[in-house]
Amino acid sequence: MYCYKTGIEQIDSVCGGFEAGTNILILAPPMSYADQLAYALIKPLQGEYSIVLSTNERAAEVVDYFKVAGADKRFIGVIDAITKSSTPSIADTTRLMFVSSPTDLTGIGIKFSNMIETIFEGDFSEGEPGLFPPPVRFCVNSISTLLMYRRLEVLYQFLHVLTAKLKKIEGVGIYLLNSESFDEKTLSLIKQLMTCVIEVKMENNITYFRILGIRGVTGEWLRFTVTKGQVVITP
Amino acid sequence: MIPTGIHALDEMLGGGIPGNSRVLYSMEPGVNGQHFMISTLSAALKKGLTCLVILPNTTVDAFRHDAITMQGDQKTFSSDNLVFIDAIDRERIQKGAASRSAEARAWKARIQKVCQDNRIDVIFAYFDLLYEAFGLDTGLSILESARQSRKTTLILEHLNLEGAPLVDRFIHDHAFDLVLTIRSSSHPLPQFSYFTLLHTSWAPIPVRSIPFSVNEGTVVPYIPRIVVTGPERSGKSTFVAHASAAGREGIRAGVPEESANGAMDFGWLRWKNFDITLYGTPGNMGFDPHILPMLRHAMGVVLVIDATDPAMLPRANYLAGLVTKQRIPFVIAANRKDQPDVMEENEIRLALSLPKEIPLYYISATERSDVNRVLESLVDYITRISS
Repeated sequence: MYCYKTGIEQIDSVCGGFEAGTNILILAPPMSYADQLAYALIKPLQGEYSIVLSTNERAAEVVDYFKVAGADKRFIGVIDAITKSSTPSIADTTRLMFVSSPTDLTGIGIKFSNMIETIFEGDFSEGEPGLFPPPVRFCVNSISTLLMYRRLEVLYQFLHVLTAKLKKIEGVGIYLLNSESFDEKTLSLIKQLMTCVIEVKMENNITYFRILGIRGVTGEWLRFTVTKGQVVITP
Repeated sequence: MIPTGIHALDEMLGGGIPGNSRVLYSMEPGVNGQHFMISTLSAALKKGLTCLVILPNTTVDAFRHDAITMQGDQKTFSSDNLVFIDAIDRERIQKGAASRSAEARAWKARIQKVCQDNRIDVIFAYFDLLYEAFGLDTGLSILESARQSRKTTLILEHLNLEGAPLVDRFIHDHAFDLVLTIRSSSHPLPQFSYFTLLHTSWAPIPVRSIPFSVNEGTVVPYIPRIVVTGPERSGKSTFVAHASAAGREGIRAGVPEESANGAMDFGWLRWKNFDITLYGTPGNMGFDPHILPMLRHAMGVVLVIDATDPAMLPRANYLAGLVTKQRIPFVIAANRKDQPDVMEENEIRLALSLPKEIPLYYISATERSDVNRVLESLVDYITRISS
């Protein structure tokens, strides 16, 4: 089974990375650089593909981030739930697709399926071949935003379908959730859909994370920064 | 009658949707089924009907742009017969209402006013957010209130995250006239989407599932096809004949009647609401160029081999490779299980480079129950839903 390398020694040396079909929740307070951590974890390696469902920044900004991080943009797709509300006539391309708003779960589901199909058909990356079956890293850059627009029960059902599909295609999913804005019931329900959780905290302007739920990986807090799309663990 | 704009569906419905009906297009997440609603709207507008589109989760401009992109028809969607209640209206209603019940009343008042002012013939409603906010009974009553004074047709699109029980409520508790579900297999390739005509109140139309593709904005239904292939004398014709409800082997085109290896076999069966056509490929290698076109739009393949004949394994391996390249789901039917010297499963798997997830069944093609087991497994595999 394919393993998605993380670039984090504490994970890769124990189990080779995230196993195919893993869904990971990143629980983080605001302004803790958790989005950078998520992007670093889904940055595509050679032959891999990444899809970001962006509910809080424009597709162009997401692509720019990965470009700066040294990723090949031909292997990155974005489903943008922001831009269309201000630019209704914006048209989909193979790798950039737009839905009218974060409320539009129908549109999000369709664009996700379309992108996966295009990847499997080999038409995603301008003829540049990737691996087959294609390893896909997927990120929802804020479940918190989706929760602002849709009821928890509805979102739970929707994410249930999405995480199951990702397992089916042996992808890996990263989902960001603000740990301070939601009650315990919400956090616990969303956690039920996940394979493991990465908790992020910030103390004295220093960021830490710990990983819960991966066998063999200790749950100790690790101090980290993200540099050029790479997670760096500092002593 | 209001046509759906999907020719094959209109034929099944006897011309379209009767006026004053209530229609549900129930979509599973991820299925490209938005064309059903858009196509029906387009057909209604072309018929000169006045339509209200309720889109609580998007704006008029974004909707119009998407509809034109899907249908390629700017004129229709710029029609004066088209009015909207959109996300901006929803925001106003929400802000102005002190409670959930006040919000429901505000929705009713708004829809009634638009319907009266514009003499609306058909309401097209994207139902998700109304359902989420008010539940099924109140959500539908909001839309129903506008229909009381006039014979207005109501057509809903709904993202169904709850499965069959919710659809049943539309049929049994709310007496919808037409319920059509739109689903897909969980496999990314081949993309296999299908609609099921689940309920019609005005005609005894049998429940039927039809696969479809979307070509240039048009929903194109096609007949589900299972291809039965295999080396010469492996038992394909017998398999097709015993699988079929009304099967017939030996429909031949341009080949000698006596040459069974140059014959195409056809059969038909009904399984899980699909009317499936079975195509048996000729075994003769000279007919190989015809196999690829037969695989186009195939929903699955049965590769029949003679389990007693190791000499045909290289040919079977070639055919398995051909199917694998097309990424079509397939199963192996190892025929003549009742004969001596049947090969071990490992030997067959090794020779055909078969991964363990490809099912292999030992069968006797003359036993209908064996043949059915293979087809059941294949159809289950193809239509299995991720949720």
